[in-house]
Amino acid sequence: MDLIANNLSYKPEDQYHLNEVSFNFKEGNLYTILGRTLSGKTTLLKTIAGLLTPDSGEIEFDGKNFLKVPVWERNVAMVYQQFINYPHLNVFENIAFPLKQRKIDQGVINEKVMDALKSVGLLGYEKRKIQELSGGQQQRVSLARSLVKNAKILLLDEPLVNLDYKLREQLREEFKNLFSKGLADETILIYSTTDPKETMELNGEVIVLDEGKVLQVGPAKEIFENPNSLKVAEISNDPPMNIIEAKISDNNIQFEGINLEAPKHLSKLTEDGLKIGLRSSDIELGENGNEFEVELAEISGSETLLHLKRGDTKIIVSIEEVLNFKIHDKVKINFKIDRAYAFYADGKLASSPFGGLNGQN
Amino acid sequence: MNFKHKYFFLFPGLFVLIGILIFPIIFVVRLSLSGWNSYNPGLDYIGLENYIRLFTDDPRFWESFFRLSFLSVTTVILQYVIGFALAHMVWKDIKFKRFFRVLFLVPMMTTPVIMTVIWRTFFHESLGPVNDLLSVFGVAPKWLTDPVIAKFTVIIVEVWQWTPFMFLLLLAGLLSLPKEPFLAAAIDGASPVRKFIYVTFPLMAPISIGAIIIRLIEASKIMDTVYVLTSGGPGTSTETSSFYIFIKGLREFQMGYAASMSFTYLIIMIISLTIIAKVLTKVLLKE
Repeated sequence: MDLIANNLSYKPEDQYHLNEVSFNFKEGNLYTILGRTLSGKTTLLKTIAGLLTPDSGEIEFDGKNFLKVPVWERNVAMVYQQFINYPHLNVFENIAFPLKQRKIDQGVINEKVMDALKSVGLLGYEKRKIQELSGGQQQRVSLARSLVKNAKILLLDEPLVNLDYKLREQLREEFKNLFSKGLADETILIYSTTDPKETMELNGEVIVLDEGKVLQVGPAKEIFENPNSLKVAEISNDPPMNIIEAKISDNNIQFEGINLEAPKHLSKLTEDGLKIGLRSSDIELGENGNEFEVELAEISGSETLLHLKRGDTKIIVSIEEVLNFKIHDKVKINFKIDRAYAFYADGKLASSPFGGLNGQN
Repeated sequence: MNFKHKYFFLFPGLFVLIGILIFPIIFVVRLSLSGWNSYNPGLDYIGLENYIRLFTDDPRFWESFFRLSFLSVTTVILQYVIGFALAHMVWKDIKFKRFFRVLFLVPMMTTPVIMTVIWRTFFHESLGPVNDLLSVFGVAPKWLTDPVIAKFTVIIVEVWQWTPFMFLLLLAGLLSLPKEPFLAAAIDGASPVRKFIYVTFPLMAPISIGAIIIRLIEASKIMDTVYVLTSGGPGTSTETSSFYIFIKGLREFQMGYAASMSFTYLIIMIISLTIIAKVLTKVLLKE
């Protein structure tokens, strides 16, 4: 059963939350909606769930007009970024709630709830009150609640965003296990996130959304390797891809007095206003490199993020080490220029090291 | 911390409390042990004679008490149901929401005695507009002079007057509910009716208990409505405890006896309301 949307638009005030969004989701697949905050991810999921009615467009599921089906008959499950549960019910009753809405035998309900509790690792907590659980446990309860009803469409709206780092890692791992366990055989899984890393790890089909518009659709690897525009490159990289205004001539890339030999996939580009994109991880410290000035050094986890400056060019370098730098320190860096992307002045991809567009040659 | 002057600062509040609460209660207890009446005004001491009379020789008091129980429980249940329905109606986004919210509060803002006089005119058996309209169907209920119907007339007036208060408490409760469980319930497959039964109502339970108890306390003091509408009649068929105590104490001036009734009434109310609150908590909150 496919979930097909045609030109969904939703514009409550003067800004589009959804702008002509179309997609074709097939059962048994995982779809990741990647976008920054306010890009329309939640709106899209709410529209699929039936909590919002779009201004125009159609959704079709199983050959039926989905927009005509009221929320409670859609057989959709949803996990929200806030941990939404029923405060007046205990853990067991919370998870049993969707089953109680149908005429299901109590014995079957007990069995299913226990199964769901087991799969989210909350066995033994069934009598607890929701308020007595930690955030991570509450989110597990709502996950269990969405799993238990065997919905045909499972929507996960940034389910990990409000959890702390450790729990996020742990739950993300569990998600992957759950998804790969065959849960998705006849389910359409739709997972929205702001985190490119999460997108890559889930490794599903990715829909990049920005300001309500679909920018690119494709497998996670493809989005990562060949972003079709500057914007996608920005959204799908964290920290965002470095964008450098450069000139290419005579097989040379020039900016801020630096001269780099253009790799093969960039050498044929001659247009004006080209922008070179380079991931922060594709720049490294090196003794005989080019000198930049440190503007800021932040340490996140086991990584150091260096914000560097030379003339008008600002770049971010991520180093897999904890290093101490002071502001205004001078550092020398090397560019792995064969990993560089090029974008035209209007933001479209000109060439990628992974063979996108002109790079194919 | 040892603060020498704390009693000095406590005194004003304590003074008021003693003056309006503690002294009257102690005085009523003392009064109930006396035979104060119009022939013999004074605080003499007659032991438990008043209480013995009350418990062995005054069925009218107990009748009025059970009548009061019936009237207050019925009116509060009706007020709760109607109040909840109205509050639920203007809770969601409907047209003229603000207008309705104010409209439903109007009865509470009127003066009960005046409104009861108006109701009495409404229900007047030969001159009132209610029977005028009903005459179309060929019926003319004796709203104020039939012993059974008169009870329901009192209930109608009480419900009309005090449902807005219930409405106000319940609306405030509804507006303070979190929105998320309702989103979840819709997605979990609960139709609007089931959403009400399984989410709205249970979430409202604590507020409901509070509202019901407050209204029960108020309703068990029914006095002005009865006094103006039927004066306890016909016969004693709408007479409530407070009205009977009023008759004995301030009409017949049997102060000692009225005091013993008041004190007995107070004790019964404290015990029964405590039990009701416990039962409601158990049933509605499942605790």
